[in-house]
Amino acid sequence: MDWLMSTPFVQDIVILFKPALYNIYFALVSIPFGFPLAILLALGKNSRNRLIASFSKVYIYAFRGSPLFIQFFMFYSISLACNQSLWKPLGLDGLMLNPLFIGPLVLILNTSAYAAEIFYGALQTIPKGEIEASRALGMTKWQEFRTTTWPNMLRLAWPGYTNEVVFLFHATAIVYFTLPVINDQKDLLNKAGELFEKDYNLFLHFSVAALYFLVISMILFYLLNLVNKYLNRHLKVRSNLKIKPSYIR
Amino acid sequence: MTKKWLLSVALSATLLSGSVLAADTLRIGTEGAYAPYNFVNDDGKLAGFEIDLGNALCKEVDMECEFVKNDWDSIIPNLIAGNYDIIMAGMSITDERKKTIAFSDEYKAVDPSIYAALKDTKVDFEKLDGKSIGVQGSTIQASFLEEKYGKTSTIKSYGKPDQAVADLAAGNVDIMLADGEFVRTVTDGSNGMLVVVGPEEMIGGGIGIGMRQDAEKLKDTLNAGIAAMKADGRLDEIMVKYFKDVKPYKTN
Amino acid sequence: MIELIPDWLGNWLGQDGLDTIKYLTNGKHMAWYSSVKFTLIAAVLGGVLAVFFGLMGAAMKQSKIAPLRWIGNIYTTMVRGIPDVLFLLFFPLALEQLAELVMAYMYCSPEQWSNATGWPVCREAQWLLSTNEYLLMACLSFGIVFGAFAANVIYGAMQAVPKGQLEAAEAFGFTEKQILWRFQIRQMWVYALPGLSNVWLLLLKATSLLSLLQITDIVSWADRLGAPNYLSMAGLVHPDWRWKYYLVLFIFYILLTMISERFFAFLQVRASRGMARSN
Repeated sequence: MDWLMSTPFVQDIVILFKPALYNIYFALVSIPFGFPLAILLALGKNSRNRLIASFSKVYIYAFRGSPLFIQFFMFYSISLACNQSLWKPLGLDGLMLNPLFIGPLVLILNTSAYAAEIFYGALQTIPKGEIEASRALGMTKWQEFRTTTWPNMLRLAWPGYTNEVVFLFHATAIVYFTLPVINDQKDLLNKAGELFEKDYNLFLHFSVAALYFLVISMILFYLLNLVNKYLNRHLKVRSNLKIKPSYIR
Repeated sequence: MTKKWLLSVALSATLLSGSVLAADTLRIGTEGAYAPYNFVNDDGKLAGFEIDLGNALCKEVDMECEFVKNDWDSIIPNLIAGNYDIIMAGMSITDERKKTIAFSDEYKAVDPSIYAALKDTKVDFEKLDGKSIGVQGSTIQASFLEEKYGKTSTIKSYGKPDQAVADLAAGNVDIMLADGEFVRTVTDGSNGMLVVVGPEEMIGGGIGIGMRQDAEKLKDTLNAGIAAMKADGRLDEIMVKYFKDVKPYKTN
Repeated sequence: MIELIPDWLGNWLGQDGLDTIKYLTNGKHMAWYSSVKFTLIAAVLGGVLAVFFGLMGAAMKQSKIAPLRWIGNIYTTMVRGIPDVLFLLFFPLALEQLAELVMAYMYCSPEQWSNATGWPVCREAQWLLSTNEYLLMACLSFGIVFGAFAANVIYGAMQAVPKGQLEAAEAFGFTEKQILWRFQIRQMWVYALPGLSNVWLLLLKATSLLSLLQITDIVSWADRLGAPNYLSMAGLVHPDWRWKYYLVLFIFYILLTMISERFFAFLQVRASRGMARSN
């Protein structure tokens, strides 16, 4: 075993394990907040209330229309400019500029816009007949949403949402390109870059970092596919997601 | 896939002719964000102590020179990779760096690193526990802080030195550590908003030109040029333009 | 720049207004504005390469030869599992080393090979990377990454071409290759356009990463312009203004997205001429 542990490849896997946790942290914190926000935005865009609909539309367009890289820079520098006048009096200054907080915050703002567009698309394609049927049964608006709109939307949107979660995980790679690094809190690319600066072994360090991304993406994919199967359990034909580069984000 | 590789090789081959031609000029890598050593002025041009010195030195050793801007954190890897031939970027001569690159003789004597803070902050340097300290990453100051305060204080490292300054001015870090000349430039120009605090830290050696380790001939040439400029006071003249309290190299 | 402003406008703007215009048109700002070219070159050239790699990938995915099909699938899956920024950092350096290896075989003598301690083997096998080379490599990386996305779009679109048309072509005695290029690929564009438009938007946003390759692009200049300056020798002394410049970039990219969407909508209308419509 010793010779195995001492190979550079295995050593790199060990060194990059902790940095990988930072990427996982950023993604795992962002998903549970981004998901409900996305649902709200999708319903908002679909809303008959003009104000809510146009706010949701502008929000989704702005965050989908600009690079996340710029969003990170912009939100950090805006938050920095607010530090003395806003965060300090409120006692939030330790939080609002901490990469472990503002990183997921920007990711949530970003992913909710992308996911909202996916859910909105699903809302548009819910079979009309099912909604008419629930109305004919005399359901209230809430009952109609709970029994018809919601399960259909989720089922239709899930492949797209799965894709978005993988994109979100990949997006965690640029957090530390834009935000300050506190002590030794480094993510995969950050650490791989640092190792590369020491021995210039490009192929080793970047490949191991890539391997981590690949494996974690696959695991995310597998887990989300389980949910997909659950959502489609009533269908005769088994629905299976395929890992392929989906061009829609 | 094979076609893809063929394409990339073909693309590279077409570029080779250009790079061979450029071999006669000495390319100087600098950061362009470290006033007064090197910065980009409002005309959008590189300027500063090292730009003036580099141009004068090139004239002295009779070489064509060209400055290349490169971010600090990749400045040594890109020297090794050959994107430029030497580094003039306020880089201290240290044993750690000597493991990977060679240095010329110093062209600026060692300058202690100093701390800066917002004017009304009280900092007790005996007890820095829990305080946050801003610093530029991959610098001698960063490794110094890591070793001395890494366990007890929060050390925030930034890609660019001016990011550390911005966070200090906004109160996101309590103190900042950097090279003396850099800090004094900031505090002097800040209209009293930022001040120098605490002790001077003697870290690093003098500042020298970094180059690849096999560039022995180049090193001799540049050392001769630096020596000549030190001897007749030309180096001092350039230093006076950018620094206060210059200790002259010319002795008489 | 400032001389071009007529007196009446100058009087109306006042000294402050004129100073602002003067500041916004100084060399540093002009360099910022002109650096938009890097973004556009990377997007357009990267886009062209992405379509090229996409066609190759799609052709491989529907190939009858199994190994080609596997390569096509591995290519698209790999790109799916790894972030684009990693490719962007990795490919240029890897390609540089590959090019230097090729050059070393071409130019270095046997003694140099045996005496070599580091990389590159000899001075002649040194490839200098400056902005132009980096830009080209960035385009290539974008091409490879977004080519995988385009491959999926194109593959899907090729399947969407009505089988009857291809069978008709076969009946007319066209060869298999002719059918692929003259019918399937030519017909495919209409179906591929909406997907390719999405790939283009992804690529456009990815161009913001150019500064990671030491290209002084719009992001890099925005950072230099907004960074606090306390040295009057360097220009106007000002505190941290970066948020203003990033806000401008934020809006700039949204505008680029809007223009792109309009353009693709126009293309779609043109490409759909003569097509049967269901609505």
